[in-house]
Amino acid sequence: MLFRVAIAFACLFIIAGVAGQPAGDTALAVQQTIAPVTSLIATNHEYDNGTGIDLIWVPSIDDRLAPSRVTGYEVWRSVVGGSGSRIAELPAGANKFTDEQCSRESTYVYSVVAISVAGNAVSISTAPIQPAREWINLHRLNLLAIAFLVSAAVIYFIQSARSGKKLFVRKIAGLDAVDDAIGRATEMGRPILFIPGIQDMDDVQTIAAITILGRVSRVVADYDTKIKMPVSRSLVMTAARETIKASYMAAGRPDAYNDDMVSYVTDEQFGYVAAVDGIMVREKPATCFYLGAFFAESLILAETGNSVGAIQIAGTAMPAQIPFFVAACDFALIGEELFAASAYLSNEPKQLGSLKGQDVGKAVALVVIVVGTMAATIGSAWDVTFMNQLWSALKVVFQTN
Amino acid sequence: MESGLMHHVALWLAAFLTLGIFSFLYRDNTWYKVCEAIFVGISAGYWFVAYFWDNLYTKFWVGVWVTPMADRPDDWYVLYVGAALGILMLLRLVPKVGWISRWPLAFIVGATAGLYLVTYFASNVMLQIEDTVRPIFGAENDAPIYEIIGNIVVAVGTFTGLIYFFFSKEHRGAFGRAAKVGIFFLMITFGASFGYTVMSRMSLLIGRMDFLFSDWLKLIK
Amino acid sequence: MKREVPLFITFFVGTLLIASVFIPPAESWGENFSVYFDIIAVFAFFLGGGNLLRIHLQKVASKRPDWGYSIVTLVAFLVMLAAGLFKLGNPGGISGNLTTAQSWFQILFQNIMSPLGSTMYALLAFFVASASYRAFRAKNRDATILLVAAFIILLGRTPFGTMLTSWIPPQYDLLQVPNLAIWIMSGPNLAGQRAIMIGIGLGIVSMSLRILLGIERTYLGDDR
Repeated sequence: MLFRVAIAFACLFIIAGVAGQPAGDTALAVQQTIAPVTSLIATNHEYDNGTGIDLIWVPSIDDRLAPSRVTGYEVWRSVVGGSGSRIAELPAGANKFTDEQCSRESTYVYSVVAISVAGNAVSISTAPIQPAREWINLHRLNLLAIAFLVSAAVIYFIQSARSGKKLFVRKIAGLDAVDDAIGRATEMGRPILFIPGIQDMDDVQTIAAITILGRVSRVVADYDTKIKMPVSRSLVMTAARETIKASYMAAGRPDAYNDDMVSYVTDEQFGYVAAVDGIMVREKPATCFYLGAFFAESLILAETGNSVGAIQIAGTAMPAQIPFFVAACDFALIGEELFAASAYLSNEPKQLGSLKGQDVGKAVALVVIVVGTMAATIGSAWDVTFMNQLWSALKVVFQTN
Repeated sequence: MESGLMHHVALWLAAFLTLGIFSFLYRDNTWYKVCEAIFVGISAGYWFVAYFWDNLYTKFWVGVWVTPMADRPDDWYVLYVGAALGILMLLRLVPKVGWISRWPLAFIVGATAGLYLVTYFASNVMLQIEDTVRPIFGAENDAPIYEIIGNIVVAVGTFTGLIYFFFSKEHRGAFGRAAKVGIFFLMITFGASFGYTVMSRMSLLIGRMDFLFSDWLKLIK
Repeated sequence: MKREVPLFITFFVGTLLIASVFIPPAESWGENFSVYFDIIAVFAFFLGGGNLLRIHLQKVASKRPDWGYSIVTLVAFLVMLAAGLFKLGNPGGISGNLTTAQSWFQILFQNIMSPLGSTMYALLAFFVASASYRAFRAKNRDATILLVAAFIILLGRTPFGTMLTSWIPPQYDLLQVPNLAIWIMSGPNLAGQRAIMIGIGLGIVSMSLRILLGIERTYLGDDR
């Protein structure tokens, strides 16, 4: 009897327990599903090698509510005659995507799935599309045109200087000091130290440094000064040796050249700095050149050079390091001056002509900045249509992508 | 036990090297020279090993011999061109044909010049000019005055800064004065970068001090 | 011939890569260049590493001053090569992973190269101080502008800067150091950066053209 009562009570508890469940759980099941995205269109991605398809769509109507009921979108792609796969997951609010992993040989069909807690909604698939390749990137025509204009100016002035036309180039103090600095080393019987930065030959700043080395080593060869050039890249070692050797040959003193003028230390940034610092305090160079791409080591080198009383001429196009060279060196070439240095030092008309050519680029920049800023200000402050058009036109011309 | 001993040896070694480098601040000495010699040898070896496995083995050897034909990219044969140029580079070691090593050098310099010419023209010239062309103030006139002054400063600073870089015109008269204003802006820029980096440099030193006093000497918990 | 071929290679490769930016099917050429370069750089390392060995061996052989340190460098270099190339001391043997924690290569990197590198880097703290002092003593206009700007930015990044000028009423809040620092960064600093960047861009165009056209050819050495 007692046993039956116990079972009856147990059943009652179970029934009561189930009945007492909160109603919310079941409410989820009746929540409405969401609407799919609409107007999904696939088009060929322009001006590429036939690898891209652009997709645009109107987001699910449930994505436009606040808070959105859509948690995100999935983009699905299937190759015609093959299987489909998910290629991207995008956040809620997304309305476009570029698939850059296509093959020119395949035809694709896309669909977009709107995701929500209540369930997913699949869009209608796009029409089959095959990516096409273009041979010229028309989006970059403006870049081509302006780069061509500036290059043409450079070449024009090189040619006109070649034909004997006199060109004026202002003084660059750091470069005028080169001869004296090397002369000082000669008089003191101490070496000069040439540091071409810590990047390899695939950096244009290192190339600039090597071209300057060509001029510096010519003076070194003429004066019979000792030059020391520890480098942190093997290729730079090779290029520097060729350069210095050529200078000694041009000076008519090939026997005075020695491969050991240039030595490889290590590719490691601070290992290289540790060794160069050691060379500086032990050999006490009278003149130090730091030209090329520098990072944090710029100040370590320049301050150690200061401590041994060297005249220091530095130049880099690394914006973050120029300040340290300005503060710690006797002369600092700022950005563009580094690239102009070898032309300036060569004193050859055709090289100097190129400097005048790049000034044309600066003149264009100045005019555009003045005209553009005025047009933009007048246009937006007083709503002058012509000025706004001019502003937009300039923006289009100088846009890059 | 063994790993405990190893840990201690490693800790003392790192402390020895750290103090050795710091000793350079006093003056050049034997301790620093030992550290420098170790650093140069170890790091040169490290980079050769890294280049060897990452470039020669993984990129070249695996790309040319190991990867099945079907999985190779369309232009896998470019690896041979790289290796051929690399071998030409080594011809420097043979005096008679050493001059051929200029070919790979010419290749690298030409490619770098070509690549930088267009990419830097786009990112440094075109993009910066486009970004500078902005209205100084708008129609609503609700911008704070210092924002308007800031906009004027950006336009004037960029303009005069560029004037400073002109090579073919003497810095005299009005042009010279504009160039002087340009230098003024450049100096502020340099000061700003300088000030911006000081704190991070201090934190590097704090990091090493932390190693010495906390990890090694255990004076700071 | 010794000179013409390299000049032609420079011109040809450079022009091709300029063109590749505008021709979609050729866009990957620029990326391929980095593949070529990486492989050439390994071969070049045989020259660099060989040079390192030669210099130090010569120093030891002729017992030049400080030759003892050359022995240290040589041993360190060869030990690292043994640990990395032949994977000596690697639990996985020759096919083992270089960066395995117990491998000699990783132990040497972790306990020797890494502390040396970070200490060398940390020396900068002292050099920043000495360079600032030098600029302070220079007492010319440029150095003063540089230092004042640096000081404001430095203060603006510390709580001390906020504390120092928090009393300034809100209508003049630009004069509060952190705001002033932000204004300098986004005003005059930005202007200077732009002028420098535009200059660099044009400088590169001009220098690259000189190289491609063969006007600048010092790096190719002499053909005699």
